[in-house]
Amino acid sequence: MLASDHHRMKLESNQQGIIFSFNGFISEGILFALGDALKKKMSLDDTNICTMKRVFSVFVEQAQNIIRYSADTLAKAGQEVNRISSGVITVGCEGGRFFVVCGNVMRREDAIPLEARLAKIRDLDPAGIKAYYMEKIKDDADPNSLGASLGLIEIARRASEPIQYDFMAIDDLNTFYCMKVFI
Amino acid sequence: MENTFIPAMERSPEVDFRFQENHLSMRGEAYPEDAAAFFGPLLKLLTDYCETIKGQELQVEFQLDYFNTSSAKALMNMIQILENAVRSGTRVSLKWCFQKDDDVMREFGQDFSTELQHVDFQLVEI
Repeated sequence: MLASDHHRMKLESNQQGIIFSFNGFISEGILFALGDALKKKMSLDDTNICTMKRVFSVFVEQAQNIIRYSADTLAKAGQEVNRISSGVITVGCEGGRFFVVCGNVMRREDAIPLEARLAKIRDLDPAGIKAYYMEKIKDDADPNSLGASLGLIEIARRASEPIQYDFMAIDDLNTFYCMKVFI
Repeated sequence: MENTFIPAMERSPEVDFRFQENHLSMRGEAYPEDAAAFFGPLLKLLTDYCETIKGQELQVEFQLDYFNTSSAKALMNMIQILENAVRSGTRVSLKWCFQKDDDVMREFGQDFSTELQHVDFQLVEI
């Protein structure tokens, strides 16, 4: 039972082209380790250098967004840089294209402005995304942001089609947020 | 000023600021856990140093393979400091090196160069 359950889970993942899928508390150290495995896998598969860089960049920005913005986060006071935060992050290959999916719980009040930012970015064409990137990179950091605006724009910039995202209310206070990006 | 050398780490670039030779370079990947902690002191050093070399010639070389968005902001700050240095009378040349076929780093070089009016900018494929 133990083996058959997990084998089935593994087969399902394989059939979906998943390279890895992480669910749980993620730290900066896990980000590095998963990123390292991702680079090695793409390199062994002789992936084009530009594609590798784009996939890696989307992965890093999405993983950092989980670490910084998941509502399910743990940190010692004064050591917020070492926080661990819960979420899911999956990298795979579907129809010959890489994809990266991330998801995490957010407080509802934080999800509303995020949805507006994502809608704006999704509706821009590549030239518009690049112009928005150059505008945001020069902005002094928004005091309430750890840099997510630029991160979302970077993700959209490396995508080969408009980003997909979704929000689902969990209860009165919490929303589950999810994003899928094809490279 | 004393030269500053920071070896490349897994997530941070080699920093070789040879202030005494007016030659500054950075190489490698930049996605430190805490970009402000890594780049903050370097930006301060660069600003202070640029105050001391008015009228001289400064060569800067960036050879980066990847940087995340927090690091991109710091790089843009560095580029603005260099541009301001030229306005104060320093001659600055910036060499942006990228690997053949790396369109992402080439495009970043082109994007950053649009912010430079007075710095002598070179995009170099290696």
